[in-house]
Amino acid sequence: MPDPHKTETVPTYCYQCVAGPDLLKVRVEDGVAVGVEPNLEAAEIHPGAGKICVKAYGLIQKAYNPHRVLTPMRRTNPKKGRDQDPGFVPISWDEALDEISGRLGEIRATGLLDESGFPRVAASFGGGGTPQSYMGTFPAFLAAWGPIDFGLGSGQGVKCYHSEHLYGELWHRAFIVTPDTPMTKYLVSFGNNVEASGGVCGVWRHAEARVNGLKRVQVEPALSITAACSDKWVPIRPKTDAAFMFAMLHVLLHEVPRDMLDLEFLKDSTSTGYLVGPNGYYLRDIKSKKPLVGDLDSGKVQPFDKAGINIALEGEWVSDGIEIGPDEQTWRHKKCKVQTAFAHLRDHVEDYTPDWAADICDVEAATIRQVALDFVDHACIGETVEIEGETLPFRPVAITLGKTVNNGWGGFECCWARTVLCTLVGSLEVPGGLLGTAVRLNKPIDDRIESVVPGPDGLMAYPFNPTDAKNWRAKPKIRNAYDTLVPLAGDTPWSQALGPTHLGWLFQDDPPEHLPRPTLPDVWFLYRSNPAISSWDAPGVAEKMSKFPFMVAFAYTMDESNHMADILLPDCVDIESTQLIRIGGTKFIEQFWRYQGYALRPAIIKAKGEARDFTDIATTLAKRTGLLESYNARINSGAVGVKLSGDGYDFSLDVDQAHDAPDIWDAVCRAASSDLTDGAESDGLDWYRENGVRVAPFPQTKWYLYPKMKALGLRFELPYQERLYRIGGELANRLHERGITWWDEQLKEYQALPKWKDFPGLWLEDEDKAEPDAKDRFWLLTSRSMQYAWGGNAAIQIASETGSNIAGHDGVIINRGRAESLGIADGDRIEVCSELRATSGRAVLREGIRPDTLLMIAQFDHWKTPFAKDFDVPSMNTVTPITLKHTDATGSGSDIVRVGVRKIGAAS
Amino acid sequence: MTRYVMVADLRRCVGCQTCTAACRDANATPPGVQWRRVLDMEVGTYPDVQRTFVPVGCMHCADPPCMDVCPSTATRKRDDGIVTIDYDLCIGCAYCAVACPYQARYKVDLVRYAYGDDPMEPEEKRHDPSRVGVSTKCNFCVDKIDDGIAKGLTPGVDPDATPACVNSCIANALHFGDIEDPDSNVSRLLDDNQSFRMHEELGTKPGFYYLWDET
Repeated sequence: MPDPHKTETVPTYCYQCVAGPDLLKVRVEDGVAVGVEPNLEAAEIHPGAGKICVKAYGLIQKAYNPHRVLTPMRRTNPKKGRDQDPGFVPISWDEALDEISGRLGEIRATGLLDESGFPRVAASFGGGGTPQSYMGTFPAFLAAWGPIDFGLGSGQGVKCYHSEHLYGELWHRAFIVTPDTPMTKYLVSFGNNVEASGGVCGVWRHAEARVNGLKRVQVEPALSITAACSDKWVPIRPKTDAAFMFAMLHVLLHEVPRDMLDLEFLKDSTSTGYLVGPNGYYLRDIKSKKPLVGDLDSGKVQPFDKAGINIALEGEWVSDGIEIGPDEQTWRHKKCKVQTAFAHLRDHVEDYTPDWAADICDVEAATIRQVALDFVDHACIGETVEIEGETLPFRPVAITLGKTVNNGWGGFECCWARTVLCTLVGSLEVPGGLLGTAVRLNKPIDDRIESVVPGPDGLMAYPFNPTDAKNWRAKPKIRNAYDTLVPLAGDTPWSQALGPTHLGWLFQDDPPEHLPRPTLPDVWFLYRSNPAISSWDAPGVAEKMSKFPFMVAFAYTMDESNHMADILLPDCVDIESTQLIRIGGTKFIEQFWRYQGYALRPAIIKAKGEARDFTDIATTLAKRTGLLESYNARINSGAVGVKLSGDGYDFSLDVDQAHDAPDIWDAVCRAASSDLTDGAESDGLDWYRENGVRVAPFPQTKWYLYPKMKALGLRFELPYQERLYRIGGELANRLHERGITWWDEQLKEYQALPKWKDFPGLWLEDEDKAEPDAKDRFWLLTSRSMQYAWGGNAAIQIASETGSNIAGHDGVIINRGRAESLGIADGDRIEVCSELRATSGRAVLREGIRPDTLLMIAQFDHWKTPFAKDFDVPSMNTVTPITLKHTDATGSGSDIVRVGVRKIGAAS
Repeated sequence: MTRYVMVADLRRCVGCQTCTAACRDANATPPGVQWRRVLDMEVGTYPDVQRTFVPVGCMHCADPPCMDVCPSTATRKRDDGIVTIDYDLCIGCAYCAVACPYQARYKVDLVRYAYGDDPMEPEEKRHDPSRVGVSTKCNFCVDKIDDGIAKGLTPGVDPDATPACVNSCIANALHFGDIEDPDSNVSRLLDDNQSFRMHEELGTKPGFYYLWDET
């Protein structure tokens, strides 16, 4: 704890959003935190020059906010609901923990799973894993507890890059996909609003790239901040991005000379040359079952890995062989005429011409064609660059996707087309090109490169959830059924929250046939998450939350979700508590470091009121539930980010004792120092409090997957999705064997080469039936706000003040001409109504938006959160329904809804 | 001679308002008093629309109209070009606020805090009653510059002698330095790029330059 009579600046980190962590210093005078500033001493190690974004300047207000919950509280009104006064009354920590541990004790006595086989304890945390950097040792408690349902969503799936997460990890270990920005020369961004959501590193890197000559084309319905900073804005019709990219594929494969593609990369580093049998599966060698390819030198068909062959990309080949389909179904072929995956791709996109796409996208064919030509023109085929002494291909072109483009229906098609476009010019995982930043569904979770391991057919392994008859999980582990329905979700600690997280809510109303009966968890923990605001159909989710029997909320203020809680626990905020985290390496969104190591967030000021360090809360819970030994053992084995013992050092905690937060984090700090220095140093908490970070070099060559793939002789699984096609067939078999047909539409997503479908039509078809002549219909979209995104900052005054400088934060953005045609003037109050319900707000008239589109920035519509409830700003979460129809095969939805608009009041 | 100027690279600026927040933080200005802020400007008609982010604040004019109208001599221009306000002399007439073509001046008569009438501890600690009822504006963090120079540091180069907004900028869009020094960072930027100043036609000779690429 700092000296209360001293003026000092204390280094710490900000990890309020997924674009972090960033490094800062807090100015403290006489024990009061008075300001923050970037940690410019870290400029050399931090990829954003040691800067922090606007959100971090709210940390002081966050700590001293008079609206904080500062004592444990108990609900006295057993009735729950928005219209109910919870009747919270202050109680002591002992009383609160007695009640919680009593409930938990009953569960341990009864059984950790309920009659449906679901965990009796559930826990939901806010976005992107950031709460874990503030919850101290709570993960060790959760691990010690046993099965927990982490899959009750707060909006992820529809609010994240869901399809990209899953397919990105499959194809190039890319939970998040970014350009190698400073080196990239041409970037096509389909709605990726990196200048608002890319954090310090994203903004820094893209600004550097722009002045270095990056040409960026922003394709999206509204003139976002990123579009404003781009060379060209292409206002595309919502949900038609796949058609645009399919047309780009057509240009590359039918309109430009073949040698403008990276043929060497395609032959040697992808599965493009694999031959495809008549049933759509690879033609395989009968004995070895290896996929076959055509060898241009010998003119013969050979196994793909035969040494010295020259793999053909095109041409017709004749061979014996077998195909292996779902459940080992096998077809034998004699002198079968086959073509390569490349030829199938070529033929697949033949009809997807720019002229075809123009009508769908409402974008001129010439524009689409020019973007495709510029893309291939900038690819620098054949060029190389030296990185740390290693010569690598240099392909400075990339394509990025934003939310609503890369999730929900059409997300697969967009992710696939984007990745294939980059594959065709060899810009996948090489300098200048399209990169992944991190893995969350593959292991080890903190080393993307090491997660590359050989799998079948010369491709990377992937930890699919099993779909074979013996191992498929007919009874899901948790309520959202990720392991039953979504093979791509895998089964790491992140998988539950990356499944179809809204199904846990949807199934409560509409129980799924032939799956276990949906149940409510006996105890639900909620931290840094406000599903009653952040989920799609937020009011509906709030209503369902009101039925949960016992909810424990780690509460910052009285917000909409806490309103439904039974116990509120005040945990310390960012600058009041202690935690050490890993930093560096590569991480989403655009964090590409040349270092890796650890950063400390120390307790900088005395905790306000009775707020407690999360680590102390976790330790107390562990002790009261009889889990102390296991909890300590989990900490010792690395559950909070660092294993406490290693070669030549051992800072393990005595497992039988309860340890204070400073003692635990001192041990963690010492282990981290030893880990980073091979045991040479063992600096503890005091050292980190003084210095903030300790790092070691991280090679730039580890930003790219290509060297590891080459070293292991592996190929990228592109463009043909034979494995997904087979797995989809197996999943269909399993579900149908159980009589489950309600997932049949989702099963259609499993295609080897995805076809264009009328994705906008999924939203339009019901409306066309109901109101075929409606003239006041719009697409409603949303967009992230740097001031608010992820930070739980709606209650922070400086976020509101700075946000109000940016157009649209105070209402609904609508095209000026369209608005005027409807008699709507700037500032008028308008009602925005979907099939679900209505919301209302001020009309903000702008030219930079399509006439058929509305935009509501961020997520507001608060009715409880102090300060934010007075904003009078709507949110699309109020009007967007949760439906199975709009759920894709990965379990995600798109943040889009059809709405009508009418004026309900004049500007005041 | 020295003249300190600000250079904003419009090709880099993304309008994030980090500089706005940093200025509020560094100078402890009350809610809504943004000595540095970024305008979100839109021109054109759909679909031919451009949106640009433009950092603004006191332009530290060589011929500042605010100084000419000041009846109390509170507003002055230093030899290094920084335009200052002496709060002890300011009578709060707000002529300067009217005269400034850049809307850079603020006058607060009622003390307000982030969450209403009661200050939080940091606000209480940093509250400066001398700023109530007088004109205030960006001063290029002049105290920091003077302290830095006294320590032998170079404004615009050394963070401890550089305005908070510049230090904070996450796009490296804001730059500060001595335009009279031909080798300074700002001189080099202005030599190597196209630039303009806001409302140059008014003859105020602003000390705030914008870099852009004319197309």
